[in-house]
Amino acid sequence: MSLLTPIRSVAISNVFSISVPAALVLVISIVVGLLMVVLFRYTSNQKAIRIAKDQLKAHLLAVRLYQDQLPVVLASYGRIVRGTGRYLRLAFTPLLIVILPITFLIVQLDRYFGWTPLTPGQSFLVTARAKTVEDLDSLSLQLPEELKTTAPAVHVPADKEVVWRVEAAKNGAYDLKVNAADHAVEKSLLVSPALARVSPERLRAPYWKRMFVSGESALSDGPVQSIAVDYPVRTIAFAGFEWNWIWLFFVLSLVAGFLFKSVLGIEI
Amino acid sequence: MPSLLILLLLICVPTPSHAYAGPGAGFAVLSSFWTLFIAFLYSVYAFLTWPFRHLLRLFRRRKSLVNAQIKRAVILGFDGMDPELTERFIKEGTLPNLARLREQGTFRKLRTTFPAISPVAWSTFMTGVNPGKHNIYDFLARDTNNYLPFLSSAEIKGPKRSLKLGKYTIPLGKPTIKAMRRGTPFWHWLGRAGIFSSIIRVPVTFPPEKFPGVLLSGMCVPDLKGSQGTFCLCTTRNSGDKFRDGGVRVPITRNGSGFRSYIPGPEDPLAANSGKELRADFEIHSDPANKQARIVAGSETFTLRVGEYSEWIPVKFKAGLGFSARGICRFYLKQLSPEVEIYVTPVNIDPSHPDLPISHPVTYSIYLSKLFGPYATLGLAEDTWALNEEVLDDDAFLAQCYANHDDRERMLFDALDKTRQGLCACVFDTTDRVQHMFWRYLEEDHPAARNVPRDQRPNVIEDLYRRMDALIGRVISQLDDRTLLLVVSDHGFKSFARCVNLNAWLHQNGYLALKAGKSESGDWFEDVDWSRTRAYTMGLNGLYLNLKGREREGIVNPGAEAGVLKEELRQKLNGLADPASGRTGITGVFDCDAVYAGPYVDNAPDLIVGYGAGYRASWDSVMGKVTAQIFEDNLKAWSGDHCIDPRLVPGVLFSNRKIADEKPAIVDVAPTILQLFGVQLPAHFDGKPWTVQATPAT
Repeated sequence: MSLLTPIRSVAISNVFSISVPAALVLVISIVVGLLMVVLFRYTSNQKAIRIAKDQLKAHLLAVRLYQDQLPVVLASYGRIVRGTGRYLRLAFTPLLIVILPITFLIVQLDRYFGWTPLTPGQSFLVTARAKTVEDLDSLSLQLPEELKTTAPAVHVPADKEVVWRVEAAKNGAYDLKVNAADHAVEKSLLVSPALARVSPERLRAPYWKRMFVSGESALSDGPVQSIAVDYPVRTIAFAGFEWNWIWLFFVLSLVAGFLFKSVLGIEI
Repeated sequence: MPSLLILLLLICVPTPSHAYAGPGAGFAVLSSFWTLFIAFLYSVYAFLTWPFRHLLRLFRRRKSLVNAQIKRAVILGFDGMDPELTERFIKEGTLPNLARLREQGTFRKLRTTFPAISPVAWSTFMTGVNPGKHNIYDFLARDTNNYLPFLSSAEIKGPKRSLKLGKYTIPLGKPTIKAMRRGTPFWHWLGRAGIFSSIIRVPVTFPPEKFPGVLLSGMCVPDLKGSQGTFCLCTTRNSGDKFRDGGVRVPITRNGSGFRSYIPGPEDPLAANSGKELRADFEIHSDPANKQARIVAGSETFTLRVGEYSEWIPVKFKAGLGFSARGICRFYLKQLSPEVEIYVTPVNIDPSHPDLPISHPVTYSIYLSKLFGPYATLGLAEDTWALNEEVLDDDAFLAQCYANHDDRERMLFDALDKTRQGLCACVFDTTDRVQHMFWRYLEEDHPAARNVPRDQRPNVIEDLYRRMDALIGRVISQLDDRTLLLVVSDHGFKSFARCVNLNAWLHQNGYLALKAGKSESGDWFEDVDWSRTRAYTMGLNGLYLNLKGREREGIVNPGAEAGVLKEELRQKLNGLADPASGRTGITGVFDCDAVYAGPYVDNAPDLIVGYGAGYRASWDSVMGKVTAQIFEDNLKAWSGDHCIDPRLVPGVLFSNRKIADEKPAIVDVAPTILQLFGVQLPAHFDGKPWTVQATPAT
C-alpha cells in the first residue's frame, strides 16, 4: 500500500469526523436488528418455530401444574431439554444463511469501531514477526520523517519478534517499511483524530485468517510473516458505561430485534 | 441434522467467527437460555419444597391410604351412549373392546336423572346428589319475575363498577361469573384427601372451581358473545330470513376485486347496554376457477378450498381505548358461485388467552393450547344448529364433530400420562351430538329422512360407536392392574320423530290463556295472558304452575289448590295419545315433590313430563311458543333425543371390574369412587357406593 496523500487523509477524516461512534453504532444496530428479523422471517419455518416454542411453554407449565408428581416433573424436564434442542435447530438454520453477510459486515465495522487511530505524540509499538529466529537480526524498520523511534528495537527470539517503539509527530496516513536482507515489506499507519478505518496488522496468511485482523493485502513470501501496530482499543461510552463496540452492537441489535419482532409479529 | 453439526463445529472452533453470528444467534440463544433458566429456577423451588408437600399429602391421605382399593380411577364419559344400541352393535361384532369389558368386567344399564338431560345428569354424576340438592333441572331456568329464560348453570354479569368518560363507559374490573350449580364435585373430596384429579370437559363445570387438580370446563361454557353458540353465515345472497336458532346471517359485500364481510362479536364493553356489538372484519379474494378463496382476517391470511375448514383462526374485536376481546373461530367455505357463502363457527374463547376462566388453574387451558394448538372451548362445540338450519351439510358437521373429538382424545391421553395416581375423568360429547343429528338414518320411516333412500343412508351412528370402542381399547392398553376403568353415559337415546307442543295442549285444555284476539303466541309467551293462565311449560321437560307468590302474575294458590291442579294435569297428560298413530306421546308425568329432595326444590318445575319413545317437546314449546297444533312431525336433522321419560333412556355402565349391583344409577358414581379411594363419604350423598371387585377382571 502506498502512502496516502494528505488530500485522501483529509477526505477520509471529513467523512466521519462529524459522526459520534455511539450514535453510529446505535443506528447500525437498529438497522441490522431490523434486517436480521426480516431475514429470519423469510428464511425460517415460522410455523415450526412457533410450535416448538409453544411446546416448550407447555412443558414448563406442566412442571408447575403437576409439581407434586415427581415422575411427571422429571419427564417434563427431559422434554424441555429435547424441545430446546429442536428449537435451536430451527432457529439456527436461517442463521446459517445470514452468518456470512453479517460476519463480513461486522468485520468491516470492526475496522472503524474496533480501534482508534493514533494521535500525534502518542507512542506505540510496531511488532514484526520473522519466519525464523535467524531472520530476526536482518529485520530493520524504515520510517517516514514524520515518525521516529523512541527506543532501541527489542528482539524476542522466543516469539521470533522484533518490537520498536515509535512516535508520530503529526496526523497523516503513513507507510512503514520493514526491511529484511533483500526483502522489504510495507505496513500502513494512520494518525488521525477522526473515526477512520484502521488495519492493525498485515500478515502472510490465507484470507479467512487475515479478514478478522487485517484490512490490507497479504504479505508476499519472505522472512517477514507479519507486521502489527498496537492501535488503542476503542471503547464507546453509552448509557454511563464504556463498551467494546461489538458488545454494544450485540446488545442494541438484540433489543432492536426483539422490539421489531413483536411489532412485525415474527417468531424467533 | 447438518445444521446442528455445523452449529457444534462453530462452537468448538476456537476462533472469534462464531461471535460474529450476531444478533440472530443472540435471539435464539437468549430465548432458549431463558426457558432453561426458568425451568432451572422452578426446579430448585420444586425440589426444595417437594419433601414438605409430599409429607403434607401423605398426612392428608393417611386415612384413605389404609382403605384404598385402587391407585387410579379412569372415567370415560360418552354423553348419550345408548345401552340398546351398544348391545346391538356388540352382538354384530362391531365393538370388540366393549364386548370384552362386558364379558370380563361389568355391563349394566345406568339409571339416569329426572329429567334425562345432560346438565342435570352430569351434575348428579359429579355431586352424588339429586337435582334438589344441586339445583340444575334443565339447560334453562325461568325468571319468575318475567317468565323469561336464563341459563341454569352460570350467570355472567358485567363488572360491578364502571367509569363514564364522555361517550365511553369504561368497565373497572372483570365480569362477574356466578356458578348456579350447587353441591361439591366428588373430586374436591378426593383433593382434600390428597388425591390428584384431572377433569376434562365434564359438563356444568363452568365457572371452574378451585381444587387440588386440573380441570377444563365443559358444556355450558359460553362463546365470546356470551351465548351457547352463535354461528354466522356470511353470504352475498340477499335474504331477509332469520335463522330459527343459533345463528345470524351476515352480508358479504363487494370490495374492489374482492369481497368484505365481518364476524359479529361481543357487546361493546365501552358502550354498555347499548346493544352495539363489536365486529372483526375480513376480506375474501375468490378464485372460482380453482374453487378456492384467500381470506384475510386480521393478521391471518389463509386459503380455503370449497368444502374445507380452516384451522382455528384468532380474531380480535377492538373496542377502543386499548380494550379488546380475543377469540378463535373456524371458517368453512361453502360455495363461491353463484353466491359466495362462508360459514363461521361461533367465536370460542381463546384457550391460550382466555377472557373468561375456563380451566383450573387458569394455566391449564393455556397448557393444553400450547401443547396441542388451539381447540374448541365452547361448551356445545359441535354446531348442531348450523346443521338444523341447513347451513352445514352432514359431512361438514361430522368433520367438525370429529375434529373436536380428536382434540379431546389428545387431552385425555395427556391426562392419562400425567395422572399416574388419582382420578382421570373425561367426557366426550360427540356421541350425543351425532346421535341427535343422525338418528334419522337409523329408522325406516323417520320424517326427517323420508327423502333419503335406505341404501344411501350413511352408517354414521354405527361408525360413531366403532370409533368410541377403538378409543376405549387404546385407553385399556395403557391401564395397569390397580386402575379402575368406568365407561359411563349420562343417558341413552331414542328417536325424536314427533313433536309435542305442550303449551298448545295447555291452551286447548284451558290451562293456558292467550290475550284477546290471539290464537297463538310468539316466543317466550309473548301473547300469553298470565292473569288467566294456570300452567305453562318451558324448556325440555318442565311444567310449571303459575303460582301465586312465586310467579309475578301467579293465580294458582299454593297448597291444596296447587296440589289438586298438579294431580289433575298428571292424570290428563299421563298416557296422552298421538291422534295420528294412537301411540303414547307421554308415558309418565312426575311430581317433583316426590322426585326431588333438598334445599333447591323450590327452583324445580312442578311436574316433569316424560315423553314416550319417538316423542319430545316441540321446538316451539321449548321456547314458550303456543301454536295451534299439539302433535306434528319433526322434520329437522335433530332427529334423536333423550329428553323423554327417563325410564326409557338409561345410560351405560361398563367397568373392568365386576360390580355386583344390578340397578346402578348415575348418582352412585361419586360415592363409589370415594369409597374405592378410601375417602369417607359425605353424609348428604344420595347415591350408594357399588360393591366393586377388589381385583380387575382384565
